[in-house]
Amino acid sequence: MRGLLVLTVAGGSVAHATLTPLISIAGVTPDLPLIMVVLLALRRGPEFGCLSGFVTGLLQDAAGGGLIGVQALTKAVIGFGIGVAGGRLRVSQPLVQVPGLVMLTIAEGLARFALLQIFRFPAPFGDLMMYVVLPQALCNGFVGAAVVLGLAWAQALRGRFEGGQP
Amino acid sequence: MKIRKLALLGSLVAACLLLLTLQTRGYGSAARDLFAIVTTPIQTGLAKASRATFGMWATYLDWKNVRAENRRLREEVQDLRVRALRVSETDDENRRLRRLLVLQERLPLTTLPGEIIAREWGGWIRSLTVNRGRGDNVPRLTAVISPDGLVGRIVDVRLGASIVQVLTDPASTVGAHVLRTRTPGIVEGDPRGTLRFKFMARDGASIQSGDVLVTAGQGGLFPRGIPIGTVRSIDNRGAALFHYAELTPAVDFARVDEVLLVTGDSQRDLTAYFPTDG
Repeated sequence: MRGLLVLTVAGGSVAHATLTPLISIAGVTPDLPLIMVVLLALRRGPEFGCLSGFVTGLLQDAAGGGLIGVQALTKAVIGFGIGVAGGRLRVSQPLVQVPGLVMLTIAEGLARFALLQIFRFPAPFGDLMMYVVLPQALCNGFVGAAVVLGLAWAQALRGRFEGGQP
Repeated sequence: MKIRKLALLGSLVAACLLLLTLQTRGYGSAARDLFAIVTTPIQTGLAKASRATFGMWATYLDWKNVRAENRRLREEVQDLRVRALRVSETDDENRRLRRLLVLQERLPLTTLPGEIIAREWGGWIRSLTVNRGRGDNVPRLTAVISPDGLVGRIVDVRLGASIVQVLTDPASTVGAHVLRTRTPGIVEGDPRGTLRFKFMARDGASIQSGDVLVTAGQGGLFPRGIPIGTVRSIDNRGAALFHYAELTPAVDFARVDEVLLVTGDSQRDLTAYFPTDG
């Protein structure tokens, strides 16, 4: 199970960069690794969320060709934060999931921008927010909600199947 | 427990900051190379796999589109064939009706156009049913003609339809003469569905193949000069009183669809109104 998780985290992050054109919706690509980190953190707690965020971000940075460590840092923090707050959040409702993921993506975008500014990497804030972060945040919100619902449905189906067995 | 979690976060954040610092100070390439060793093969494999998958999918879609297009084109061809047939049929009918109309307008006779609605083509009787009957004041024994020549005569008038005895009917006889030699005789129908011209041997010595026969116009039944057929062969019976000539009918009775019923009397010779070039 743990091996599968490692494979999911590592493979998914690298695959994200390779398969970007295939998963983009109207030119906007959802940050699937971020959604994955959030889901893992909610299920497995802050440590796993933090580690998976770190690995995911690191691989995304490496695969994407940017400064290595930026996304590793932001995703590690997000994974940790969500893992800590997971018990207190009611994440089963799409009305929570969509705005939650939108906010998280915007927060991650802001953190990433701040890091890039610290390490003197030029990036125009307004354009970045308008054309990259906000559309991606909305996309993440809906895709993430769909993933959460899909997982819940699969789990319910599995539970029913196992409950029906003699 | 809580300290352990925070320590983990702290160390990861520190590692990230260290990585970022090293990169901004010019040590980034070594770190990137290290990651590239791990990520490049995975990316290459994934790219290949996705390309192969989507290539297959594209091939499948192409194949599906080709099949759909093939089916659509087949249907279109079928449709066009049917349309072409209809056009050809309409064209044919149009041509026939034009000829009939031209004949009707040119003839110095009162005629009534009619359409063949049935055919009796057995050996005993050879007749056509035309859609003109008692309601159209069609008298019995009315001559029936087509732009090519004589078809026959009406032998039975019914309500809305009439029966035309065709020249090839075994009971049919028509007074005729050879256009070129004026040799008189009788054209008879034959059980085999052919026509023969019965003439007196002494009058018909000069008849030859290709001669055109027209109605004689005697007896007032048929107007004079309507083509009946062309001599195909001559049956010379030696010293017999009558000789026979096999004829090719001027009208293709099996294919005639529109006819004119000659309802008025005419004493004029109609030869000039029909094609008699053989």
